[in-house]
Amino acid sequence: MIEPTLALYGDAFERVDQHIQELLETTGVRYGLLVDRKGFVLSHKEALWAPRPPALDSVATLVASNAAATAALANMLGERTFSEQIHQGENGTLYVESVGTDSLLTLIFDASVPLGKVKVYAKKTIAQIAAILDELKDLPPVQLNDDFSQGAASLLDDLLG
Amino acid sequence: MSTINFAAREINCKIVYYGPGMSGKTTNLKHVFSKVPGHLRGEMVSLATEDERTLFFDFLPLDLGSVQGFKTRFHLYTVPGQVFYNASRKLILRGVDGIVFVADSAPNRLRANAESMRNLRENLQEHGIDVRDVPIVLQINKRDLPDALPTSMIRAVIDPKQELQVFEAMSDKGVGVFETLKTVSRLVLERLSQNK
Repeated sequence: MIEPTLALYGDAFERVDQHIQELLETTGVRYGLLVDRKGFVLSHKEALWAPRPPALDSVATLVASNAAATAALANMLGERTFSEQIHQGENGTLYVESVGTDSLLTLIFDASVPLGKVKVYAKKTIAQIAAILDELKDLPPVQLNDDFSQGAASLLDDLLG
Repeated sequence: MSTINFAAREINCKIVYYGPGMSGKTTNLKHVFSKVPGHLRGEMVSLATEDERTLFFDFLPLDLGSVQGFKTRFHLYTVPGQVFYNASRKLILRGVDGIVFVADSAPNRLRANAESMRNLRENLQEHGIDVRDVPIVLQINKRDLPDALPTSMIRAVIDPKQELQVFEAMSDKGVGVFETLKTVSRLVLERLSQNK
């Protein structure tokens, strides 16, 4: 059964947000995103000094699709997973690592930030976030009623005519 | 499978445009991109081959707005239609909430339409999803071809039990594009409220 992605918020969101914020402050990473494997942004943080970020929707969907393709490759090659991906350019690095089976920590940083330092601190952050996600697995789903679908349908009319 | 989303009160739905190669899936998204105001959509991402065939996907995010405190958004994807890109199609179907099946009205594409629908059912099944459990809308595209097949003939090979809502379209002119998207979106939203 397909279930749409629904918001879970409150304390857990704040804690995840805080962990990513701390990671950025500790390492000098410019942008940190937690992306689900469908390609949606779950959380994102930007360093205060960072310039305007790239389009987060596009980053998230490309990261998730890349991870899906890479997971398929891992499966073909007899690996359980390829958990970590690093793309280094002239000016910066994109670093993606799995957080459990459902999400991906995505970090973008420039050449002044040592990759090794990011990897060390990222693994700690990933363990912390994974623990929070584990706590959420047994929570009851958010319930919506007919008023929601009717209200949303009204907005659909506005958007699509 | 439900996905945890920490964005504050945000609901995200994934709609995938499926169908044989060159049936007009990407053209649908390009039309939506060109007609929806910039502040209500994100950038369109297209991953295509040199001859502009979809290689992995096209992607277009839409912002519906806020409903009962929930920011509600749709992510539209197309899949590559050619047979040999089946690995890509399987991946893009992960977490799908609604499907637009874009059929081609050309006489020489009747078999391709049927094969693509069969492929869709197979790929959904690999994700543990019965095709009857996903909102699907059928768009019969290229209705302006001089030798376009009757819709009844196309439907006979794609939807013989007539279970799907059908829209005729000419996606390169924008005809039928919004009606199709609005209907599948409504079906997805209704399913949300049913809490299935």
